[in-house]
Amino acid sequence: MTSTLKGITLKGSAELVAEFFSFGINSILYQRGIYPPETFSRVTHYDMSLQLSTDPKLKNYLTNVVSQLKEWLFECTVQKLVLVITCLETNEVLERWQFDIECDKSAKENSTPREKSIKTIQDEIRSVIRQITATVTFLPLLETPCAFDLLVYTDKDLAVPEKWEESGPQIIDQSEEVRLRSFTTSIHKVNSMVAYKRTDSV
Amino acid sequence: MDLEDDTTVLTTLKSFNSFISHNEPPQRLSEHSVGSGNLQSQYKRSMELLEAAERLHSKNRYLQLDQEKKQMELSHKRARFELEKAASDSARDLEHEFGRNQDLIGQIKKLEERETGAAKNLTEQTEANRALRKNLESLNKKLEERDMRLNTSNQHISSLRDEIRELKQKIQNQDSTISTQTLENQELQEQLDLQRRKYQEVSQLCQSLQAAQSSCSEHIIKIKELERRLALQEQDIAIVKTVKAEVAKVPDLEKELKRLREDNAFLRESRENCSLLKEEVEGLRRKLERMAKTKEELVNMELEKERFAEKLKAWENLGQSTGLNIRKPEDLSREVIQIQQREFALKEQNYTLNSRVRSVERSQSELRAELTQQRGKTLEEQKKRETQDALVRRLQKRVLLLTKERDGMRAILESYDSELAPTEYSPQLSKRLREAEDVLQKTQNHNAEMEAQLSKAQEETGALKLQLQTVELELESLKKQQASAADSSSLVTKEEVNILRQKIEDLETERQRLEEQNNILEMRLERHNLQGDYDPVKTRVLHLKMNPTTVAKQQRQQEVEALREEVTHLRELLRSVQDGTALAHSQDDSSMHTSGLGLSLPPSKEVLDLRKQMESSELRNQRLKEVFQRKIQEFRTVCYVLTGYQIDITTENQYRLTSVYSEHMDDSLLFKKGASGSMQLMETEFSKTLGEMVALHLHHQKSIPAFLSAVTLDLFSRQTTV
Repeated sequence: MTSTLKGITLKGSAELVAEFFSFGINSILYQRGIYPPETFSRVTHYDMSLQLSTDPKLKNYLTNVVSQLKEWLFECTVQKLVLVITCLETNEVLERWQFDIECDKSAKENSTPREKSIKTIQDEIRSVIRQITATVTFLPLLETPCAFDLLVYTDKDLAVPEKWEESGPQIIDQSEEVRLRSFTTSIHKVNSMVAYKRTDSV
Repeated sequence: MDLEDDTTVLTTLKSFNSFISHNEPPQRLSEHSVGSGNLQSQYKRSMELLEAAERLHSKNRYLQLDQEKKQMELSHKRARFELEKAASDSARDLEHEFGRNQDLIGQIKKLEERETGAAKNLTEQTEANRALRKNLESLNKKLEERDMRLNTSNQHISSLRDEIRELKQKIQNQDSTISTQTLENQELQEQLDLQRRKYQEVSQLCQSLQAAQSSCSEHIIKIKELERRLALQEQDIAIVKTVKAEVAKVPDLEKELKRLREDNAFLRESRENCSLLKEEVEGLRRKLERMAKTKEELVNMELEKERFAEKLKAWENLGQSTGLNIRKPEDLSREVIQIQQREFALKEQNYTLNSRVRSVERSQSELRAELTQQRGKTLEEQKKRETQDALVRRLQKRVLLLTKERDGMRAILESYDSELAPTEYSPQLSKRLREAEDVLQKTQNHNAEMEAQLSKAQEETGALKLQLQTVELELESLKKQQASAADSSSLVTKEEVNILRQKIEDLETERQRLEEQNNILEMRLERHNLQGDYDPVKTRVLHLKMNPTTVAKQQRQQEVEALREEVTHLRELLRSVQDGTALAHSQDDSSMHTSGLGLSLPPSKEVLDLRKQMESSELRNQRLKEVFQRKIQEFRTVCYVLTGYQIDITTENQYRLTSVYSEHMDDSLLFKKGASGSMQLMETEFSKTLGEMVALHLHHQKSIPAFLSAVTLDLFSRQTTV
């Protein structure tokens, strides 16, 4: 943990949130079966056991995205991170995991660390990841082979880095939305929600 | 005594009973004769009877008790007697016991004496025992020592013997082992020889096995190749079957096509009819609508007509009602014009009057203003006059004061002059004079200032009073205006209040509506936000170019394309195979094969090889058949030549023999093979002529070759002779 024991700085908060995203995305990919479960290995983090992928291409992709996301979190220019699951046969979007990020911009000017214990943040993150695991019970089965994509909603005036391009929001038509728990590091607040395609319309 | 008591009881009871019975009849007799007088006597009698009964009863009791007492006494006596008996018995026993006791005591004494003697003996003997024991012990010890020595020596001897035995056994064992080992050695040598022979054999077998295995592997390889080719052929067959199935469906499809075309033509005709009908229907509908409209218009027109008729009547009546000379509408119009003209005139008058009124009002107001001004002015002048009067009075007072002062001063001066004449006090007097003059001047100045202040104050108060009065006048005028306008404006204010209230209510309802709209919009916004909507002006959506979805889609596309290519390729193969098989059925030319399949792709070479193999195997089969046939022919001819019989198989298990020397073509012998394998001759025309030989050779000798040879000889003899 890079954040000091005394408090949370902007950089530390950005790292915490980026770390949560990397573990959360791995959990979602494992739970929804996007990649075969034998390609995942068990690790312990946030005082619970999580699944982390060992596929090198996937790991490379995730590290690229998460590192860029960390920069944007530090600059407070990112608004949402969305994990989109599309069916390969019909090219339809079946699920959308959306994480809204609210950044307290006053932390940019004021560099004093904020009082929030890492343990409470970890507890909150743990409850969010547990809830993500529990959502599998009511989400419809993904029977066809699927692929995922990560979209980032940023401010309009941001410079688009190399290797990134603009894309559409990839919204599901006739979706059901469920709001999940949120956690806050006192500088960044992350709200999670999941939207899935209604099965009776399929 | 008891009996006597009982008898006395019984006798008394009897006497009592007899007394009672005796008393009763006289009582009964006496009842009828005497009335109440006898009752008392009866009563007395009954009482006497009762007393008697009681007495008897008590007597009885007494007797009973006596009896009991006597009985008790008896029992007491008996008990005493018995006790006395028991006491005497016990005394006797006691005496006996006593005697015995004494005897026993004497015995005891004797025994005690014996005991003492025995004890003495015992002690002596114990002492002797001890001495003996000591001796014994010493002897025992000696014995033990000897025993031990003996034991040790024995043990030694036994151990030595054991050793000897063991050694002997060892020697024996070793001898035996040596012998067994020599035997084993021999056996092993023999086995070795055997094994060597076996090894040689096995090595030979191995070599043969290896040769066989190599040939086997070659065969296996060939088998696998053939299997692969078989599988491919089967796939081709499957494809052919599916194509055939599809082809089989074609006639059905054609039939359906025909049917559909007929339906189509029919439907087109019907459609045209339909369209015509629809147009007619539309035209009719429009007509209907127009008719309905015209109907309505008719109805309206009729209503209007009625109304107009009424109006006309009213108008016509007007003329009668108003009393004017109206019969035509022209008269009405004229009247109306006249009225209008009158109206105009009146309006003009009205306007002029209004203007006059207004001008009058204006002048009135102006005059009022002037009035107020004049009043103010008059008040001012009054004030001025008053101030002037006050000034005048003050001046008069001053004048009086001055005159008084002058007089005083004159008096003083005269006095001083009168006083000065005798003496010269001029410097002091002049000083005093100057001081007095100074004081005078100061007081005069002071006075003048005070008077000036006073006058200012008075002017100010006068001005204030003027203002007050003007203001009061204005207030009065305003109040009058208000009073006049109060009535008219009250209604206006009420109307304004109502209007304002309505405006407030409208605004409130609009506010609520807007609030609800706001809530709905907020909910929609929230929902859109959940779904992932964003404001394109402020946000942008980014993702990596090389993301897993695009990669997966590309892979999928590549797979799809590869699959499509494979499918087209397979279809071409199929076609070529079908062409190839068709050609193979029609011609066997290998050149055609190569030309026909030269366009096809490499895998068809396998098919070619298979075909070549097939042809070669067929050729081989044919050749084998020819060879077999030739050989059979040769063998048959040789048999015919050598044995003289041509053997034909007519049906299963039936053999027909025709001889070389047979006279007719049909002369033949039929033999049938029975179930057990023995040959039996069947009846033929020719065999009937050979009955003798059949009987001789077959029935007697039971030899078919002899019979056959006899037949040939017979026929040969017949031929040569004939």
